[in-house]
Amino acid sequence: MSKIQLVSRPNRSFLGFTIAAVISFALHIAGAATEATEAASELQGRWSGTIQIPGHELVLVVDLAREANWSGSATLPGLNVKGAPLTDIKIEGADLYFGIQAMTGPSVEPPKIKARLSNKKLVGDFLQGGNSARFALEKIGPPQVEEMPRSTPVAKEFEGEWNGGYELLGYPRKVTLKLQNHDSKPASADFVIVGRKFNNLPVDRITQQGKFITIECSAFGITYEGQLENGEIHGTVFQGPIEVALVLRRPK
Amino acid sequence: MKLPLFVILAVALCGRALSAHAQAMFRGNPAHTGVYSGPAPRQFHRVKWKFPTGNRIVASPVIEGRTIFFGSDDGNVYAVDSETGRQMWKTKTRGPVSATPAIANGTLYVGSNDGNFYALNLETGALKWKFATGGERRFEAKGLHGWQPKNQTIADPFDIFLSSPVVVDGAVYFGSGDGHVYCLDANTGHLNWKFKTGDVVHASPAFADNTIFVGSWDSYFYAIDAKSGKEKWRFHGGEDALIHNQVGFQSSPAIMDGVVYTGCRDAQLYALDAASGKEKWRFDNQLSWVITSPAVLDGKVYFATSDSALYHVAEAATGKSLVKEDGRAYMFSSPAVVDDTVFIGVFNGTLVARDAATGKVLWEFQTDASKENKGWVLTAERRFNGPLLFFDNWKEGPLIAQDRQISVGSVFSSPLVANGTVYFGSTDGFLYAID
Repeated sequence: MSKIQLVSRPNRSFLGFTIAAVISFALHIAGAATEATEAASELQGRWSGTIQIPGHELVLVVDLAREANWSGSATLPGLNVKGAPLTDIKIEGADLYFGIQAMTGPSVEPPKIKARLSNKKLVGDFLQGGNSARFALEKIGPPQVEEMPRSTPVAKEFEGEWNGGYELLGYPRKVTLKLQNHDSKPASADFVIVGRKFNNLPVDRITQQGKFITIECSAFGITYEGQLENGEIHGTVFQGPIEVALVLRRPK
Repeated sequence: MKLPLFVILAVALCGRALSAHAQAMFRGNPAHTGVYSGPAPRQFHRVKWKFPTGNRIVASPVIEGRTIFFGSDDGNVYAVDSETGRQMWKTKTRGPVSATPAIANGTLYVGSNDGNFYALNLETGALKWKFATGGERRFEAKGLHGWQPKNQTIADPFDIFLSSPVVVDGAVYFGSGDGHVYCLDANTGHLNWKFKTGDVVHASPAFADNTIFVGSWDSYFYAIDAKSGKEKWRFHGGEDALIHNQVGFQSSPAIMDGVVYTGCRDAQLYALDAASGKEKWRFDNQLSWVITSPAVLDGKVYFATSDSALYHVAEAATGKSLVKEDGRAYMFSSPAVVDDTVFIGVFNGTLVARDAATGKVLWEFQTDASKENKGWVLTAERRFNGPLLFFDNWKEGPLIAQDRQISVGSVFSSPLVANGTVYFGSTDGFLYAID
């Protein structure tokens, strides 16, 4: 808009033209920055409303907060999604983009949101499974962003290599778990299950509470929960709806 | 040289009788090969007609003369004109008719979820006789498929079909949820014999060489002497004591050249020697059920899988994979082969025509309910949208999810191809005629 106005006055000197352009640009930037700050301030909060999926209105609650960076979580009552982290939050003026780290499945990517702040409402499109539906959210209070549990260091007794095996649907599986501490930082794990294929599972989270340890791998939907008893870890492998006992022992 | 008129008539009538006989029961013949005579539409032209019923249609239609006969889960057995889609008659049973009828000697035979087996007059639908089995039930188990509560017995919502009868030499054979395989006198309905298995028999028995072949949910596949009802041999499929997911013969067998081909919930397609029950080969489908009943033609076996949603063609002699194509969603419908074309229904509400040689899709028909996709049951690619379906593993959650899956007009019905038209039912409650 401003560029067209400047170009439409050919009698101005080059210097005048440049100054006007710089001022105009600076004002534009300042205005945009103010707008962005206002939008950012307005975006913080708990937002609630409905997604208009055909034949199935879905309630969506989004919490958005800004400290050093933007963070957020989403809840979809009825779909078993509570406080799922928001990913790739991007704000451009009044436009907002993010993903929801939930609702994944075979051939189904996590949902994405494209929204715009308009008349104090957050309106936009909910994209999931290649489908798209409109939604409108209203601010209903301050943000209550849920923090995801984080990995912890593990006690000395858990450190090192563990082996075990179990049978699932007629096929034997061999398990190797290697736990490693990194000073006071969270522990890391190599978690390998060998059945008909070799699966090196990417571990998202290792948490230890007293005698209990949990190893989570969301990419494969596998969790191992165990309890240290007499130098062995007695626990259960959870994979989707399947639960199988697994005892891990030190290699001989 | 001119042939005498009676010879011409005899040949013509014999041909017609064979043709009619070839399509008057589930999978087209007693051996259940799933092969139909042409022509078949290689291109989609139109929906010739669609016939509404009061509930979903999961079983398959059969044809006799120019009349289509089928059951609906609204409890009725229907007779419909194949050209116009006009209702000729309907007869009410007291439960969903989830079995495909068989026709012989002017009589229609079919089972109902009311636990009775019916013989109806083909012309009028009037009851000739009915036989009370020990009662219907679905396969059930504690913690079925890993659903919760683990100690609760859960009936399997994927146990969709009832056993469809086969009629041979004055006897009618069928399986029942009471765990028996029955043989009745086709004229009177009197019990000839019954054979006890360890669980639900919802697969449909096939007949060849005076033997009845059928699998049970007890994990065994049986060969039974058709006259005496005595066991000839049994074959043990997979077991799954953990969640009862990988067990049971829901697929109905096809018999060809002394070999029995059957799918199983243990994710295998088996080829068994019909005389001995010895395994010739197995095709491993990596934990994905084979519910479809295989079709067999010209040395090839046609079948499809559920969760992995794959359409397969394998070499009948060896089990070697010849064709593997993405089917997008579960397939419970059994393929119908007509010359160079294969028709199969898909759980996502489509009927697909494929080239028999390459497996490539020739055309697809999508039901309105599938297009509407209420509640985003399907992704844009028509795959099941898991996160919006099976998000709740507790109580009735999975059952509700399955109910929503079939809201898209799933095609469980195995297509019937006759006179250039494809007939099939859908869970949207319609019987479709497409040419």
